[in-house]
Amino acid sequence: MPLSPIFFKKTKFEVEKVSNASTESDSVTRSDHSIFVRGIRKTYPNGVVANQDVTFSILRGEVHALLGENGAGKTTLVKILSGCLTPDSGEILVNGRSVRIEDPIKAVKLGIGMVHQHFTLIPTFTVAENIALSLSLSGRLNLDAVKGKIKEVSKNLTLEIDPDARIEQLPVGLRQRVEILRLLCQDVDILILDEPTSVLTPLEVEELFKTIRRLKSKGRSVIIITHKVKEALAISDRITIMRGGRVVKTLPTISTNEAELAALVVEGFASSLRVDRGKPGEPVLMVKNLSVKGKRGEMAVKGVDLVLHAGEILGIAGVAGNGQKELVEALTGLRRIESGTSLLKTCDLTNRPPKFIIRKGVSYIPEDRIRRGVVLSMSVSENLALKNFEEQPFSKNMVINRESIDRYASDLISKFGIRASDPCATVSSLSGGNIGKLVVARELSNGANIVVAEQPTAGLDVKASEAVHQKLMELRSKGVAALLISADLDEIIKLSDRIVVMYGGKFVGEFTHDSLDIQKLARLMLGSA
Amino acid sequence: MMEWALILGFIAAGIRTASPLLLASLGETVVQRGGILNLGIEGAMLMGAFSGFMGAYLTGNLWVGLLTSIIAGVLTVLIFGFLVIRINLDQVVSGLAINLLAMGLCLYFFRIAFSQGAFPYLGDLIGPYAIPGLSQIPVLGEVLFNQTVFVYIGLIAVPLIYFLIFKTSFGLRLRSIGEDPVVASYLGINVSRIRYLSLIIEGALVGMAGGLLTISMFNVFDSRIVAARGFVAVSIVILGRWNPWGALGGSLLFGFTEALSLWIGTFLVGPAAPSVSLLLRMLPYVVTILALLVGGRKVRGPAALGSPFSKE
Ligand SMILES: Nc1ncnc2c1ncn2[C@@H]1O[C@H](COP(=O)(O)OP(=O)(O)OP(=O)(O)O)[C@@H](O)[C@H]1O
Ligand SMILES: [Mg+2]
Repeated sequence: MPLSPIFFKKTKFEVEKVSNASTESDSVTRSDHSIFVRGIRKTYPNGVVANQDVTFSILRGEVHALLGENGAGKTTLVKILSGCLTPDSGEILVNGRSVRIEDPIKAVKLGIGMVHQHFTLIPTFTVAENIALSLSLSGRLNLDAVKGKIKEVSKNLTLEIDPDARIEQLPVGLRQRVEILRLLCQDVDILILDEPTSVLTPLEVEELFKTIRRLKSKGRSVIIITHKVKEALAISDRITIMRGGRVVKTLPTISTNEAELAALVVEGFASSLRVDRGKPGEPVLMVKNLSVKGKRGEMAVKGVDLVLHAGEILGIAGVAGNGQKELVEALTGLRRIESGTSLLKTCDLTNRPPKFIIRKGVSYIPEDRIRRGVVLSMSVSENLALKNFEEQPFSKNMVINRESIDRYASDLISKFGIRASDPCATVSSLSGGNIGKLVVARELSNGANIVVAEQPTAGLDVKASEAVHQKLMELRSKGVAALLISADLDEIIKLSDRIVVMYGGKFVGEFTHDSLDIQKLARLMLGSA
Repeated sequence: MMEWALILGFIAAGIRTASPLLLASLGETVVQRGGILNLGIEGAMLMGAFSGFMGAYLTGNLWVGLLTSIIAGVLTVLIFGFLVIRINLDQVVSGLAINLLAMGLCLYFFRIAFSQGAFPYLGDLIGPYAIPGLSQIPVLGEVLFNQTVFVYIGLIAVPLIYFLIFKTSFGLRLRSIGEDPVVASYLGINVSRIRYLSLIIEGALVGMAGGLLTISMFNVFDSRIVAARGFVAVSIVILGRWNPWGALGGSLLFGFTEALSLWIGTFLVGPAAPSVSLLLRMLPYVVTILALLVGGRKVRGPAALGSPFSKE
């Protein structure tokens, strides 16, 4: 019997008992918990203790938000619940029974499924093929049956999707929907979503939340990890905060507020960001009539004009997939420019190789940090020096000077608060948010005069996000120009001196910070003026 | 009338020449779909050729030779599999190492088995087998149904492997591993097991392709007998876009080129100019390069092809 949210909000007593981890007694009706874990500890092979003495529970029909700084151990915990990692010690109860979750298949059998921070879809496969992949079918592949199942499940929850669409042709929001559908096709009761909103536009987030509410109304439970306190407040019934591998507190959503949560997430955090405006100077980047083709050969950018001034942050607002990505790739030399020009002061950047563009002082924070931003198997310090290791003092006479690279790295690690066990740790051992911090640290510290920032704070915790915003403004006051592309409209509005709206490969509107009309901006983003 | 027979004979020869390439490229298509680039296929073919020869020579039974060639092929490919899956060595390096190993082993055992200067040969070959009824069909019967068992196996294997790759759950998993083994493992797919299974299939096909050379094509063994057919098979896989039907097309292209070069050498140039006919033998390799230049550009293979994968 699914527990209605109203019911458990009333039983505050029980909820508090659960949250009070250390004095937990067995008298709590365990069968009410879909999952109940106690004393979980996880040490990674490199010795990092990512979870210790973690006690956590999720009720039937509950939406439970998991908050915490980068590297707090959130992903580790949910990976344990979904069978991707095995804990060193601790007890896991599912529906009151003690279980061992050896692998993801076992987890799914127990009704637990997870949508990873980095999607686990095969891009060249269709929706149906991807879903078939995890249904442990055998023998002849019956895709029609799979499609039938998808139709049934998606109709039940009004999650529209074309089963024959190829994943690589779907926007992020829909890919996420496929991930969720896949779990539902496997009859999962407890869905774990690891930072599902970090790359979604506000509209897509709203859509996702609708889905979560519908799931909840059908008695399913959802664990959602997020860095946005507002989101946790909007969607969850209870909130658990983690710090340094431990659970700090679990509390019911109705009894808390944004400031309290922020202070719990980052100990004693209080926003100290002073937002100021820039004083735009000379034009530095002049883009004329730029046209760029997309992945499938379609015109993705259709004759865009853009002028970026020194000491200015220019925000590009738009729903993902309207040419922002191709525009950025063209400017950074990663994609061919079909026609038009890109000029840095007097220097022509059109169709020059990335290295040339980097040397001219254009730095780039890519949205896909893992594939574009770092070399996973190399160390943190090597990654931090990746773009200028050829220069003095990092190397001399073509010989790399390790010491100076390590010193530089240690400096950036402390400045940007990157949580790494040491500068020589491989990047693959960092948490998602810390990989993000690393990329941002490198790109904002190499003396660039233009910064192209794609979702610079996606996946970063409040403190780190603020630090990045602070840094961007600091650079701006020194005359650096920035192009900010973000799904987070709040971020764009907060930082930008000027905002252009991109729709269908064109700029369809422009606002200065003072003349901003949010209603109009939102309409323009959707293509209706 | 005479010319007609000559042309039919040429086509039949082209198909026959294509058969080792077809078997080998089908096997390689399977493993590459699972993300493994096996350049050790050349060595596996050599082992197949040697074992086939030895099996047939020692027992006097060609079918035993077929069996031993299959076993040798599977074993060689499994050694390769052990290196790249279990020990996680680089695929290209392991493949080349397997080729050297195979060459060394064959030379060594051949020398042990036969005294220097001996010239062992098989008294018989697996020849064409006319399928009763079907071989009576005019034209088609001659070129398709009066062939060796290897041609039949290859032709039947094309739709079977197609079915395996595209129409079964095994194939779906295999392809997902070829695209992204990490993701596949997250979904609970046993990457190593599926890769080993695909390698066994390849081993059998490649071993047979090698055995065919000694027990059905030439009746002697020489360490150079494979003559880069394994590498040609790898390029056929690319040319055929990782599709069994494409592999069939590619194999036929090369089979005919090879047959053509022999044919021109024999009938048009003749023994009068041996250097010209030797030069003509290069034709298949030139075609390989040209075909890859034309057809091998802008093709998208399995995304994870050749990249290492280890759990956690
Ligand atoms: N594969 C790994 N090997 C070694 N250490 C790891 C590995 N994955 C994570 N860690 C470490 O474990 C700690 C917790 O990481 P985890 O990914 O759980 O953090 P998180 O709370 O999800 O952070 P984020 O918000 O940045 O995603 C971090 O200090 C991280 O460096
Ligand atoms: Mg994480």
